[in-house]
Amino acid sequence: MAKGDLSSPSLADDLFFVMHDNVTGRTRLHPRLASLGLAGAVLGDLMLAERVTLDLASGQDRLYATARDATGDPLTQSVLDHVIVEPQHPVVTWLLFFARTIYADITARMIAAKLLNPPARHLLKQQPPAPVNTNTAAWPLARLNLAVQRREPPVVRDCVLYGLFVATGGAQRALWEHDPAFVAATIAMLPVPLQRLIVQTEVAVGEAVISRR
Amino acid sequence: MSLTEQRPSAVSAALAKDRLGVPSVVFFVISAAAPLMVVAGSVPTAYTVTGVIGVPFAFLMLGAIFALFAVGYVTMARHVVNAGAFYAYAAQGLGRTQGVATAWVALLAYNALQLGLYGIIGSAAEPLLLDWFGASPAWWVIALVAWALTGLLGLLRVDVNGKILSVLLVSEIAVVLVFDIGDLFHAAPSGISFEGFTPGSLFVPGVGAALATVVAGFAGIESSVVFAEESKDRNRTVPIATYLGIAIIAVLYAISAWAQTVPTGPDGIVKAASEQGPMLIFNQAAAHMGSTVATIGSVLFVTSSIACMIAFHNTTARYIFALGRENVLPSVFGRTSARTAAPTAGSVLQTALGLIVITVYAIFGLDPVTKLFFTFGAFGGLGLLTLLTVTSIAVIVFFSRNPSGETAWRTRIAPALAALALCAIIALTLINFDTVLGVASDSVIRWILPGIFVVAMVFGVAWARVLKVTRPEVYANIGFGAQAVSGGSK
Repeated sequence: MAKGDLSSPSLADDLFFVMHDNVTGRTRLHPRLASLGLAGAVLGDLMLAERVTLDLASGQDRLYATARDATGDPLTQSVLDHVIVEPQHPVVTWLLFFARTIYADITARMIAAKLLNPPARHLLKQQPPAPVNTNTAAWPLARLNLAVQRREPPVVRDCVLYGLFVATGGAQRALWEHDPAFVAATIAMLPVPLQRLIVQTEVAVGEAVISRR
Repeated sequence: MSLTEQRPSAVSAALAKDRLGVPSVVFFVISAAAPLMVVAGSVPTAYTVTGVIGVPFAFLMLGAIFALFAVGYVTMARHVVNAGAFYAYAAQGLGRTQGVATAWVALLAYNALQLGLYGIIGSAAEPLLLDWFGASPAWWVIALVAWALTGLLGLLRVDVNGKILSVLLVSEIAVVLVFDIGDLFHAAPSGISFEGFTPGSLFVPGVGAALATVVAGFAGIESSVVFAEESKDRNRTVPIATYLGIAIIAVLYAISAWAQTVPTGPDGIVKAASEQGPMLIFNQAAAHMGSTVATIGSVLFVTSSIACMIAFHNTTARYIFALGRENVLPSVFGRTSARTAAPTAGSVLQTALGLIVITVYAIFGLDPVTKLFFTFGAFGGLGLLTLLTVTSIAVIVFFSRNPSGETAWRTRIAPALAALALCAIIALTLINFDTVLGVASDSVIRWILPGIFVVAMVFGVAWARVLKVTRPEVYANIGFGAQAVSGGSK
């Protein structure tokens, strides 16, 4: 993938779509887990665009910027700026940090990009923002379902999508079938930094489940 | 690089904002110990079953031993991954095989403590139902309602909200103190006696049984280190909260256990407790301060028991989840409910065990308070003692292998003293286990129950050996909990 290409819809948009119902926009995941997954997806977007990577030698999976070219998108740019300013944190710290706000940020970005409708109010109850086009919204999940069904690893970006979706615990629920061996094989095809990103997302999700808050 | 590190980090500051301070951790920790449930439920049962008057002294003594234990425990918590679980200490201090053995013991002990609570909820709710509706269903009906509620909330991952918890906890402690004061103003004709605080009143036949119950009263205090990652200052918040929690619990329980003996006199407490059971303190309060105060107390007794059930249910479910995440238990236990972020399989397992226990006790007509609440509590207490002892030894070994600049008091002396004291208590408990169970001293069952822990350890060791040979990658990550999937690196 060429440097500077932060294609839309991004990995984060795709993950948002697979984590939500394509018609109603209702979430399939607990907000905390969804947020950790989305944080992972935004970092994944930056890794795929070769802006950040992991320092594997330190044994701490420290995240650092490799290029400072503008990303052309305020959200990923702000994430990149944070990483440039504080290169000392392990990726898991970044996941926790971005998870605080990322859900709202991505929702806002997708509404601005006309991927989601603005949230509507019905009878005092706030409705989740529904996808503008249900086919667009259903497409990422369909791609993953087809890949699993055919046992053919998808393109790199969808491998990351698949790995992150499994890490949040949502894939086991939303996909037609769950095959741990295929998951492992798919993730193993990725470059090591992306593998570690998925693993660290899974760790953060596990910690969130164990945590009492 | 060093320049960047010295600059105050916006990321750390933002993450620190919603971290816990000392008061929050203390609240979480004490509420898992459920003060009113211990004072109203455990203490009279301990008097009844053991006939030992020195229960107040036992609380103070065990408080001191717990504090001694906590010295090494909180010190090692700063240096290990997955600090919330005892088996992590054993795995990282003594070795992975010992870690798995410890994990089995912990599972058994926490399960027992959780299941035992179904025995007390009936007697907690019965008087209220009688008072309000003039009739009350059998204890097991109430227990099943509590069971269903706990199971459902466990699946929905509803931890009792921190604010509600604090309100409940503060009212519980207030009620306990008010009851105590009422007792003090209505001393027996023989005058106020401090016999319960003398060592001589504890070290009589039955002492081990009393100690096992008292230990169960402290259960939950060890959970303070779970918050290490989420506390404001990892090095200070957790130790301070732990010591504070132990001190509050030990003093509150000791005074309350003693206050119960004041209106009856030390000679009359065993008889009074046998006759009235968990109603003892509410009857005393009703006599001293009127029925309204007693009713408030009874309501809080019910809420306290339920909060405690939920706390232990979730603790155990998370324990199972962490083990599933490591693949020490089948990996299905490491799965979460994506919707609620609850450790589903562990929670369901807990709920299933609860149903089995309640059904068995209901069918065989066994007494829920002395045979379920007390027996399971003491059995869990014995397991907890074992865990504390193993952890103390693990602390010593860990620091002898990984020198870390901590003082000798923290890494060697205090843990060694704690381990010795804990071993002595385990010995006393085993000697008196017939009293705990209320069976003849030559009965086999008194050896079978403690033997279950030995069997669990043997199975744990065997299972660890199997893992080592068949799945070395799993074996290598034992003790890392949720971190296991990342190879334990931090």
